[in-house]
Amino acid sequence: MPNPLISLLVAFAITLLAVWFFRPERGLFWRWQRSRRMTERVFEEDALKHIHQCEIHDRRPTVKSLAGSLNLSLDEIASLLEKLEARQLVAVDGANFHLTASGRAYALQIIRAHRLWERYLADATGFGEAEWHGQADLYEHELSPAEISRLAAQLGNPTHDPHGDPIPTARGEIVYRERIPLSSLEANKPARIVHIEDEPEAVYAQLVAEGLHVGMTVRVTESSSQRIRFWSGGDEHTLAPLIAANVGLELLPEEPREQDQLGERLTSLAPGEQGRVIGLTPRLRGAERRRLMDLGILPGTLIQNTMNSPSGNPAAYSVRGALIALRSAQADQIRILRENDES
Amino acid sequence: MTTQTTTPEDILQTAQALRWEVGSDFHEHLMESMYTEAARIADRAITRPEKKPRFDLDRTIDRLVTSRAFGFPLMLALLTLVFWLTIAGANVPSRWLSWLLLDTLQPILKGFGVTIGLPWWINGLLFDGMYLATAWVISVMLPPMAIFFPLFTLLEDYGYLPRVAFNLDNMFQKVGAHGKQALSMTMGFGCNAAGVVATRVIDSPRERLIAIITNNFALCNGRWPTQILIATLFIGGLVPAHLAGLLSAMSVVAIAVLGVLFSFLVSWGLSRTVLRGEVSTFSLELPPYRPPRIWQTIYTSVIDRTLIVLWRAIIFALPAGAIIWLSANITFGGISIAEYLINFLNPAGLLLGLNGVILVAYIVAIPANEIVIPTVLMLTVLVTGASGVGAGAGVMFELQSNAEMTALFQAGGWTLLTAVNLMLFSLLHNPCSTTIYTIYKETRSLKWTLISTLLPVFMGLAVTFFVAQVWRLIAGVL
Repeated sequence: MPNPLISLLVAFAITLLAVWFFRPERGLFWRWQRSRRMTERVFEEDALKHIHQCEIHDRRPTVKSLAGSLNLSLDEIASLLEKLEARQLVAVDGANFHLTASGRAYALQIIRAHRLWERYLADATGFGEAEWHGQADLYEHELSPAEISRLAAQLGNPTHDPHGDPIPTARGEIVYRERIPLSSLEANKPARIVHIEDEPEAVYAQLVAEGLHVGMTVRVTESSSQRIRFWSGGDEHTLAPLIAANVGLELLPEEPREQDQLGERLTSLAPGEQGRVIGLTPRLRGAERRRLMDLGILPGTLIQNTMNSPSGNPAAYSVRGALIALRSAQADQIRILRENDES
Repeated sequence: MTTQTTTPEDILQTAQALRWEVGSDFHEHLMESMYTEAARIADRAITRPEKKPRFDLDRTIDRLVTSRAFGFPLMLALLTLVFWLTIAGANVPSRWLSWLLLDTLQPILKGFGVTIGLPWWINGLLFDGMYLATAWVISVMLPPMAIFFPLFTLLEDYGYLPRVAFNLDNMFQKVGAHGKQALSMTMGFGCNAAGVVATRVIDSPRERLIAIITNNFALCNGRWPTQILIATLFIGGLVPAHLAGLLSAMSVVAIAVLGVLFSFLVSWGLSRTVLRGEVSTFSLELPPYRPPRIWQTIYTSVIDRTLIVLWRAIIFALPAGAIIWLSANITFGGISIAEYLINFLNPAGLLLGLNGVILVAYIVAIPANEIVIPTVLMLTVLVTGASGVGAGAGVMFELQSNAEMTALFQAGGWTLLTAVNLMLFSLLHNPCSTTIYTIYKETRSLKWTLISTLLPVFMGLAVTFFVAQVWRLIAGVL
């Protein structure tokens, strides 16, 4: 029989090693897998994407900006550009360079794959908002054109990704909408979120934490250089102008239609109180949204909070003669107009 | 626009341009308006009673069973009652079946084999191996299942079980699971295969997989007898006789509670790692209460649950019985296969605070947890060469007297540590083959079947290893 102390220590060491190798995301094994994916092709495609981004935003791409974006040295970027020029994807003219027609088409296909994959993650999987962008950055390089078309067809040829960016069509057509940054919206003008910038990550995480989502109605109550105060999704939010600038809006007609009213959250009803459903927030997608609609939670439906569970979450609601338990996270996404007792 | 200049190209181009204007969510809006229209038509056609009844019985019951004060005590009382009825009620028919199938029919069959002149090894394989294992599984398994399943189905039919899920959902929500997992887990206390089937009530893919993978941590009917026996022999023996019953009962309950804790822990881990990307939705309907249809319930629960599970168990027990008998009877150089295996696994077993016999018993008894103890006894006799007990190589048996059993185990080198670790390993090891097969049928995925099979074994090995080392360290210091 081996000494128990020694065998414990050995087991402990093995566990540590296993954790070191297989820790989710940061484990050595996963890092190795990721680095294996970082092939020449990935760098080329990321370079094309970067140049394309610069062109859209009217910035001049430089060797330095490329090196910063791809995390490569200047020499490596120079040789990368040489290869791209040889393949006639980029035209180099002294210190300036720009995409050729085929280079732009290539870049648009990568962007198409990226945004379709984000749409797929949002609609058909359980991954949270914070993971969409990072995963799409990996998968955009791995999908073949045939797979991309199949994915698009399966998702119903969506026009926009979940952040509100347009998805290029298979023929490379893309139309950007005019949008107003939240930071410059006048007070009391109804508007709708059409875009949420997903980079930088920290800013995006803050917007996600506020519960903001493309498609939500917004009404600003106070706009100053210190802070923007606004109502959305039944709550009042406060953001710094710098952060609010990452939310793009389109104006709504002065008199909002029924489904654009702000309303309250379903969770604001106490047991016994009732309201009429305005709609489900755009944040609910895919299976989750369909399930609630299957249960008859639709615009115009009368809904009553009938009882809370001992812990208060979930609560049971009467809808169309049935008693249905919903968790607060779901009920928060159902907007209602409070109604007084049936009279 | 003039008609003569419109070509298909133009139409396509107009469509392309309009595509960007319809908005990103037009599919959603279309679907929503279809649902809304359907609901409007339905509302026009259906008339509902004008006024609510003054006294709503359903709501009154609901307020009681979901109240802070009475909800949980009521639930515990009902579940305890169901378990008590099952255990107390199954005792007599189990003993009766065991007398009929094992003590009476088996010798008759064997005698019949001798009469018609079967060679001894065919006779042994058929009646000592295959028949005995199957009969054992039936006599241990059938009575509790025939009582537990109808009782459970009655509660379900009455509408009470969805309220249990409603009360408990908050706890399950925190570990990323569904409140209805409480139901499949409770069902798992009866039989894990039935518990896995019961996860069908969970309609969210992620939560259903969690419920399937963790169902094995609910101590099933086939493992209760092992727990009770070992607790009585080794843990009850630590204290004076009048406390023995209480202490051993408490230790078995502690193991079951530990299983529930493990199932929460594993649910938490799974929902945050491998299952993160699976689709998750929640909905739980609380149907109106209705008087249960007793006969229909008994019929469907006996047919759907009891017989199907029993049939699968028999299919797996038959070959297991053959393997057990053959492994003890095929010898090379005077040593049976079973003994080779035991000697091979003994060092690993001892390191884990178990022994080779227990590991071999768990390997050959994968088809049914019910036959672990009889196999352990038979193999112990085989290894120690104890005389006066047992019925020969490869023939499973159980002893009537506790003193005899303790003596046999002690001859096999068992200590209190062996007993504790056997109880832990009985909780944390792979599901029986019936359950594994059911998991495969329910998930249709080799990956999830493998994970549900290997994860508990791995945890069992880790836990018993850790307990054994710490135990020895403390024993060395004392």
